[in-house]
Amino acid sequence: MTMPIKIRESSPLHWALRVVGVSALAAIAVYFASNAAPSTLGKITEACTLAIAAVSLNLLLGFNGQISLGHSTFAGLAAFTAGYSVNAWHWNPWVSLGVACVLCFALGLLLGLPALRLKGPYLALVTLAVAFVWPTVARKFLQQTVKASTLKGMRLRPPTWTGLANNRVDRALFLFWLSLVLLVITYAIVRNLRKSRIGRSLVAVRDNETAAAVMGVNLPFTKTVTFGISAALAGVAGWLAAAQLATLDENSFSILTSIKYLLALFLGGAATLAGPVVGAFTYFFADDLLKTNAPKWDFLPGPLSKGPVASFLLGVLVIVFVFIAPLGLVGFVKAQGRKLAVVVPPPLRPAPKASDPTAHASPAPAGEVE
Amino acid sequence: MGHLLQYILNGLARGSIYSLIALGLVVIYRGTGHLNFAQGEMALFATFGAWWINDHGFPLWISILLAALGAFVGGGLIEYSLIRPAAKKSPFAVVVITIGLFQAFNSLSGLLFKGAATGLPFGTLFPDAPSDFFRLPGGVIWRYENIGVLVTVVIITVLLFVLFQKTKIGLAMRMVANNADSAKLAGVPTNKVLMLSWALSAAIGTIGGCLVAGINANVSLGTMFGVFLLASAAATLGGLDSPIGAVVGGLSLGVVESLVTNYPNDWWGSTYIGADTAIAVAFVIILVVLLVKPSGLFGSTRVERV
Repeated sequence: MTMPIKIRESSPLHWALRVVGVSALAAIAVYFASNAAPSTLGKITEACTLAIAAVSLNLLLGFNGQISLGHSTFAGLAAFTAGYSVNAWHWNPWVSLGVACVLCFALGLLLGLPALRLKGPYLALVTLAVAFVWPTVARKFLQQTVKASTLKGMRLRPPTWTGLANNRVDRALFLFWLSLVLLVITYAIVRNLRKSRIGRSLVAVRDNETAAAVMGVNLPFTKTVTFGISAALAGVAGWLAAAQLATLDENSFSILTSIKYLLALFLGGAATLAGPVVGAFTYFFADDLLKTNAPKWDFLPGPLSKGPVASFLLGVLVIVFVFIAPLGLVGFVKAQGRKLAVVVPPPLRPAPKASDPTAHASPAPAGEVE
Repeated sequence: MGHLLQYILNGLARGSIYSLIALGLVVIYRGTGHLNFAQGEMALFATFGAWWINDHGFPLWISILLAALGAFVGGGLIEYSLIRPAAKKSPFAVVVITIGLFQAFNSLSGLLFKGAATGLPFGTLFPDAPSDFFRLPGGVIWRYENIGVLVTVVIITVLLFVLFQKTKIGLAMRMVANNADSAKLAGVPTNKVLMLSWALSAAIGTIGGCLVAGINANVSLGTMFGVFLLASAAATLGGLDSPIGAVVGGLSLGVVESLVTNYPNDWWGSTYIGADTAIAVAFVIILVVLLVKPSGLFGSTRVERV
């Protein structure tokens, strides 16, 4: 077996690879923006929304080990906040984004409190309960405050500085870029959190709470605030959904939405940074391909109804996928890529001479200490 | 007072079904520590199977037994072919597989059984004509169907307890639940026990599904979803590793659901509170209970050694 190529972390080669990767992604985005039909752009926007939600769930579940089936509720709360405040009170949509995030953060903190005492499946059940209660709350709100069965989404106008007109094509283009920017911001927030002291304390709490507490991590603070931040980021996804959807109703953010977030996260790979984004795009477009193509399959025997074929195949695909890549797509690619190239940390600085046992025998050449 | 008794009796029938599905969840959780998200949909598929056999001219009780038998085999096969190999790969893998199964079984039911989305008529094992009830003091009526469901569930529960407490297999199952590694060292065939847990759980679920379909006189793709949610809530309330907890949790949730749905309507007029509001109230109660006792009413608390 050949040895993998070693790349020094933060070496010029490593930076070059990073720059090539990011510019390739940017080039793909620009290509789609200038060539794709508005309907395709709409689909990418939807996938980005799913990706934001999966990234937010990854912060909580992947890095902090707290499962939540209630993320659809945060998205729903944000979407309804945005839809209602923009339509009924004529708020600026951007203000509604801020308010929605603050509300979600508060609800997340609140849900984080019982989470302090509950573990694993018990927490799953409690968050499941929250997801299950949301449609009821939404329906009561629609009945009593909006007095209609649906709430209008906010029709986001492209700001004038973008030079985009307020028509269908330009709005799709605007939403496409907006969702990409929000996805990048969300990703950056989670990435920077993960790479910082806070991120290391999150992972420490996930791996061993007692050990983390002994090391000085404030458990209740870390866990509840993570819940809050994750909820606020899920709120961004909800707000974005309210910008795309023409109408919102009680079933827009059901428990099935939460399950979709969870599947997207696992498909891509939990506890990896890129995992939820890759997973969300894979899940969304696999689902989309099956849904558009399955009704055309004439080779299916007559008595089978074709409607559920797509959703059945998606379920089977998910199961098969677990066996091929149990750690998700990103985990799979990482494991394969490690055979070709590895990123190694920069060389260690030489230890101070006093602690070097060999120093007495033969003085080591002085290394650069910076 | 008459109303109270009436509502409790109505709630017990539905509650006993929640207990049954919750028992299925507990049987699996005790063995492997996994929450089977597909429990409800596996039961749904088998219930459609029972409908199909019944549709081909077999008596209903034989159809249900055959379906339960099929589910027993199927549940064991799922454990052997999917769950066991996946559990070795990653801790998240089993969760994803049960979610995948959830989706696959629900859509497979829609795929194979025409009219499943809108609902298929399902018979009941018990007399359910409008006049089939006991008259209790205070104008309370106890329908034969509700009694029948309750008695069926009690019989199955008692059989399960005999299995757990009085047989060698039950002893092995309890050993695995207590400490799988020690059980393995002591010569318990853990793999067979886990397979049996899944098989039993699937069979129990099937009977639960058929009872729900019998009460509703109808089975559709959405039948088991709400039942599964309440059953999992019941299992959590009672403690996920406690069979007694599942029974107590299920019955009390059924009663709470019935009381919360009916009383406000008596007080403030109809349609103030819908069925799903009742479920919301039930979930709030569970939240409060879990805050006081994080491992449920009867669940065992594990002391962690550092």
